[in-house]
Amino acid sequence: MTNHQVRLQPSNIIVEVPTGTLISEVIHLAGIDISQPCGGQGRCGRCAVILDDESGVRRRSTIRLSAEDLEDGYALACQTVIEGDVTISIPEQERIERRLVTDKSARKVELPFAYDPVTMQSVQAFQIHLSPPTMQDNIDDLSRLQKALADRGYSPIDIPLNVLRRLGTVFRDAKWSPWIVIETPTPPPGPARLIDISVEPIRPIGLALDIGTTTVTAYMVDLTTGQVLNSAAEYNDQINRGEDVISRIIYAEKKDLNELGVLVRQTIDTLLERLKLRTGIPPQGIHKVTVSGNTTMIHLFLGLPPASIRLTPYIPAANDPQSYLAAELALGVNPHASVYCLPGVASYVGADISAGVLACGLADSEVLTLFIDVGTNGETVLGTREWMVTCACSAGPAFEGAGVVDGMRATEGAIEEVWIHSETYEPTIRVIGGAKPRGICGSGLISLLSELFVTGVVDRAGNVKLDLDTPRVRQGEHGPEYIVAWSDETETERDIVLTKVDVNNLMRAKAAIYAGFTVLAESVGVELNDAKQVLVGGAFGQYINVENAIKIGLLPDLPWDRFHFLGNTSVLGSYMALLSHDAFEHTREIAQRMTYIELSADNTFYDAFTAALFLPHTEISRFPSVADIWDQEKRD
Amino acid sequence: MALSGLEIYKLLPQTNCKDCDYPTCLAFAMKLAAKQASLSDCPHVSEEAKAKLEAASAPPITLVEIKAEGGEVKVGNETVVFRHEKTFYHKPGLFWRLRDTEDLEELKRKVADADAYHVDYVGIDLYLDGFAIEAVSGDPETFKNAISAILSISKKPLILIASTSDIAKAGLEGSDGSRPLLYAADGENWETMVEVAKQGDVPLAVRADTLDELADLTQKIKAAGVEEMVLDPGVHHYLDSLQQLTTLRRLALKKTFRPLGYPIITFPGANEEVDETLLAAEHITKYGGLIVLEEFNPASLYALLVLRQNIYTDPQKPIQVQPGVYEINSPDENSPLMVTTNFSITYFSIANEVDGSGWPGWLLVTDAEGMSVLTAWAAGKFDAERIAKDAKTFNVEEKVSHRKLIIPGHVAVLSGELEEEMPGWEIMVGPREAVDINSYLKAMWTK
Amino acid sequence: MAVEIPKEKWTSAVREVTLGATSDEGGTRSHTITVGGETALPFLHFEGETPNRPILALDVRSHKPEDWSPLLRQTWGKAMEDPATWAQAAEEAGADMIYLVLSLTTTDGEPNTPENARAVVRKVLEATGLPLAVVGPGQAEVDNELIVAVAEEAVGERLLLGLCEEKNYRTIVAAALAHNHLVQSKTPMDVNLSKQLVILINDMGMPLERIVMDPTTGALGYGIEYGFSVMERLRLAALQGDKMTQQPMIVNPGEEAWRVKEAKVGEGVPENWGEWERRALDWEALTATTLVHSGADILVLRHPETLRRVRAVIDDLIGPKSAA
Ligand code: SF4
Ligand code: FES
Repeated sequence: MTNHQVRLQPSNIIVEVPTGTLISEVIHLAGIDISQPCGGQGRCGRCAVILDDESGVRRRSTIRLSAEDLEDGYALACQTVIEGDVTISIPEQERIERRLVTDKSARKVELPFAYDPVTMQSVQAFQIHLSPPTMQDNIDDLSRLQKALADRGYSPIDIPLNVLRRLGTVFRDAKWSPWIVIETPTPPPGPARLIDISVEPIRPIGLALDIGTTTVTAYMVDLTTGQVLNSAAEYNDQINRGEDVISRIIYAEKKDLNELGVLVRQTIDTLLERLKLRTGIPPQGIHKVTVSGNTTMIHLFLGLPPASIRLTPYIPAANDPQSYLAAELALGVNPHASVYCLPGVASYVGADISAGVLACGLADSEVLTLFIDVGTNGETVLGTREWMVTCACSAGPAFEGAGVVDGMRATEGAIEEVWIHSETYEPTIRVIGGAKPRGICGSGLISLLSELFVTGVVDRAGNVKLDLDTPRVRQGEHGPEYIVAWSDETETERDIVLTKVDVNNLMRAKAAIYAGFTVLAESVGVELNDAKQVLVGGAFGQYINVENAIKIGLLPDLPWDRFHFLGNTSVLGSYMALLSHDAFEHTREIAQRMTYIELSADNTFYDAFTAALFLPHTEISRFPSVADIWDQEKRD
Repeated sequence: MALSGLEIYKLLPQTNCKDCDYPTCLAFAMKLAAKQASLSDCPHVSEEAKAKLEAASAPPITLVEIKAEGGEVKVGNETVVFRHEKTFYHKPGLFWRLRDTEDLEELKRKVADADAYHVDYVGIDLYLDGFAIEAVSGDPETFKNAISAILSISKKPLILIASTSDIAKAGLEGSDGSRPLLYAADGENWETMVEVAKQGDVPLAVRADTLDELADLTQKIKAAGVEEMVLDPGVHHYLDSLQQLTTLRRLALKKTFRPLGYPIITFPGANEEVDETLLAAEHITKYGGLIVLEEFNPASLYALLVLRQNIYTDPQKPIQVQPGVYEINSPDENSPLMVTTNFSITYFSIANEVDGSGWPGWLLVTDAEGMSVLTAWAAGKFDAERIAKDAKTFNVEEKVSHRKLIIPGHVAVLSGELEEEMPGWEIMVGPREAVDINSYLKAMWTK
Repeated sequence: MAVEIPKEKWTSAVREVTLGATSDEGGTRSHTITVGGETALPFLHFEGETPNRPILALDVRSHKPEDWSPLLRQTWGKAMEDPATWAQAAEEAGADMIYLVLSLTTTDGEPNTPENARAVVRKVLEATGLPLAVVGPGQAEVDNELIVAVAEEAVGERLLLGLCEEKNYRTIVAAALAHNHLVQSKTPMDVNLSKQLVILINDMGMPLERIVMDPTTGALGYGIEYGFSVMERLRLAALQGDKMTQQPMIVNPGEEAWRVKEAKVGEGVPENWGEWERRALDWEALTATTLVHSGADILVLRHPETLRRVRAVIDDLIGPKSAA
């Protein structure tokens, strides 16, 4: 096969590759990192590069590029193969941009329950007073420690080699009154384990993690008081290998399982660094870790092959993995710290949901409660303390701003609310940070869709009505679209639009979530209206507007006071499990008690989904409050 | 009445011990409610709960089995009035009615023809289920000989039509070793017919002109010791068939009316004024159990067998179209070739869009077990290997002279692998939405 | 023992829709036809009314369809050369209604034009007194162009115009609204989609009394069971009071059945498929009668013999009461 010379700009690196190599591979070979949010599927368009000459390449797909882009020589790195010598420029703005998602250091997380470290906590730190050795009392250091600990009830006890190595020095420096950190077996029996010894007083520290598909969140916790000392969140570095769990599973299968583990540890290291800066506590000072996350994320974290998760009959390698030593997982905390993974229910209902149920209190609820995790995997749990059913449906990332032409995260420059004039169809927008808009975030999309529907810019199936008398609707590159902001009003100097395809994606996401919980309710024969509480979780849940979400049929039409927004419930559950071993056991029990309903088992879900693929729903009688507004609008 | 999953759950021990092989008691309860599990799988149910649950689960329509060396026909045990509610389980048996007065050689020839009748419908072998032989002669010996003649040629199940117990008995002797249906007991002969049926351990058809009489008879016959019965309500037209058979199905299922909880036998050709094929078709869709045809005509039988196959497919399965290469707007070897999955909605939206755009095109529909593109891809049912395999199976190379395959935009990621799997082919990534097909083809397809 | 016949209690009825307009009503039809109005499942007269019988339409094309089966071309012969003659022949064959499909191209391969469509419809209206449906060739832009012209040309005739599909309904609905016609709303075999399109059309201001829904069906062996069940579900929902499912249903077994190999092809098929003509006719008739049982109110057929056979079935099903 012939080789070709590819010159990469602006770094001016030359790479030699055979015919048929993807540009993204060339870039990778050159050691340059570019963003590939959709995992190289040609869906996101974020991997665009500029060609100096068309002849050396062949484009497989140009979906995400406009005619104008093509003229300018843009090509998708993941969809274009080399067939000759060529020079390629990697545009600066397309470099991976690391952004802090949420930084809650300022906000205090409340203790979830009255915390008693003595009865609840498996990790204890205390000072121990040893009698100094004499000629008569001449037992060795190790036996001396074992004896003293046995007197306090810690027998037998495991002492790791590298703690043993430091024993003599520390004992003597501490004048025979060292500080030690011990983890008692949970559940007993089994030996207690010495995690650390020190001359200086030690505070036992824990780390509660939530490994999300998109975001990794960490709480650093003082295990004596139970307080969260600090928290941090960061994009999961795996994103560049695919934005949803399926892409990552396929990546692990076909390319590199290990790499995904390395990437998530890299993210955790970033968080640990940040926490160290803020608290002064180094990663080595962390004595216990709890990890929550969906089943795929836990698999990748533990290095378990995830392939079977996506294939019928959807069986994961482990729903309830054991605890492992940090050293085994190459996690950058104290190597003797135990790492506990929270238990999950099934391939598509993971530990994040067990943790969420723990945190939201559903498992102990006297009243019928619906818990919805508005995320890419759209998990839902319905039940009371007596029974719980759960399901997952792939809703896609539309509400997080992904898969929408002008979608973005809820940061500076995102349109977060839209109002449309019902006669002129002119929009008024509110932008986060008040500057010129760059795109639309999740809540902005919900608000926009709801306004388009109520003002009749789209019909109830989401078709943009091109026959309206306004310049705001037009036939665009990707079909009919509504212009939210003209190019001269935007930061990007391009029109910000919502296309028919975007509307479809949003409709599908909301329909999948709605269908998920309605089918769940039907499967056990309860009425959705009987749900006394609706708990909404997910990073998105922090800024959801209930009224708009009901109008588009994402949430059920129930009195507003039944809705509660909990934010990231997965990390909260992880935190509770970190504090109390009983709480951890409780998640295990919760996971056991949840009955997983496989939605793809028959047509019911599909039917419910198509019924929900309408604004707000095919049966408007399910949305009486929306029916009222709608009738009024129609009369006007 | 049927209990819901949650109602059954309340009767179970609620310990989630998993001894039933389900992860939770609720999961097991839901399977029970769906009649997909058996109560005996839980070793821990209390006697009290057992009593309650069993009462709710006895089949409302008795299962009847006719057997012979070469096959069996099972009818009954249906649980719904409308197929979409669950599914229709036991396909009605189609039988051809012959007479013992026929010349034996002629009879054998007919049986041989019908016995050899097989048609293939989407890989399913369809055939006539068996023969009904009627003792027109009134003579036991003649009847027996006719039966032997049939059995010398065919191993298919039989229905013996005899009006007296003597003839019936001779018939059973003649068909020794098989389990035919005995037709029929009526108000006059039922006592002796019951004896014959009991002796031979064969199911018995029961005939009466009104439902009242029919219910009386079945109760008496049941009391006399025959469990497996088939009802003949004596219908001859489209309307009386529809109304009677619907009523019978509803009585059995909605009222759990045991005296009429049996499968139904019909003779759509008995009335010369009606179109036998069309009445038989009605009996297939509307609640017939055994259908005895007067005429054996390959063309009509094929249509009826296909109808039966269609009506008795499981409607809970995703709606699928047959995998294959579909032609839209009379394509030729230069027309674009697109690939998608066999989920019917996916197929229709693409086919309609191409059709409506006026582009002639080939659509390769792969077997993705009825899943949509993204779901199938996620579940590993629409990957490079499968697409390449189906492209081969359906000979796309012969349909088009170019070597370009357009794949759905949602699975652009497959393009590289597909090029490896299909050497010599250029993989083009099409649009993600069907609506964009026309503009895509306009922009990308050069003839 | 007296067996009690179980009867379902339905709370609602299928909506009645009247096709065509006589001179009194602003049209030129010799009579009108009303469909729908059922208050029970098909033909269960013991629990409700079936005030109007299902009607049978024959498929007539504005230009001779060269791709139709030879069996059909033999039957219709020369009549196919001219839509007016064909419509007359269809009326003689016993059709209740003419289902006129405007072809994409004229006989000499030129694209069909609005002027031509007007002329064809005018001719057919003059040739027969039956109510008429007129649908486009099935390509959104062409459909819109032709049907808008037809709506205008035949103002007041209460034609059934189509096809309205989710992606393309607004133009045809607007034209039908403006010129007093009805519309056929067609959706791919799915209960929700059927309902959704009726809602969308009604949202444009089209009264429900002027919408006939086409839930689409497959032919025997090609998905008829989906169409069958979707129709049963729609009818059940209608009787239970779901307003947007109460439209009378139109289906096209003629088109579906004659599209498939079993009906179309006479040679090179398995011997056990039996005699061609009988198989083809059975295919169309079985497809049609099966759909009659699932609640079809209007059936579009292609072969006059099928029309005769299906009519006989309906005559019996409708019962002596309304046979008159
Ligand atoms: S065996 Fe019985 S008690 Fe145990 S889980 Fe199954 S249903 Fe529950
Ligand atoms: S389009 Fe190339 S990575 Fe998403």
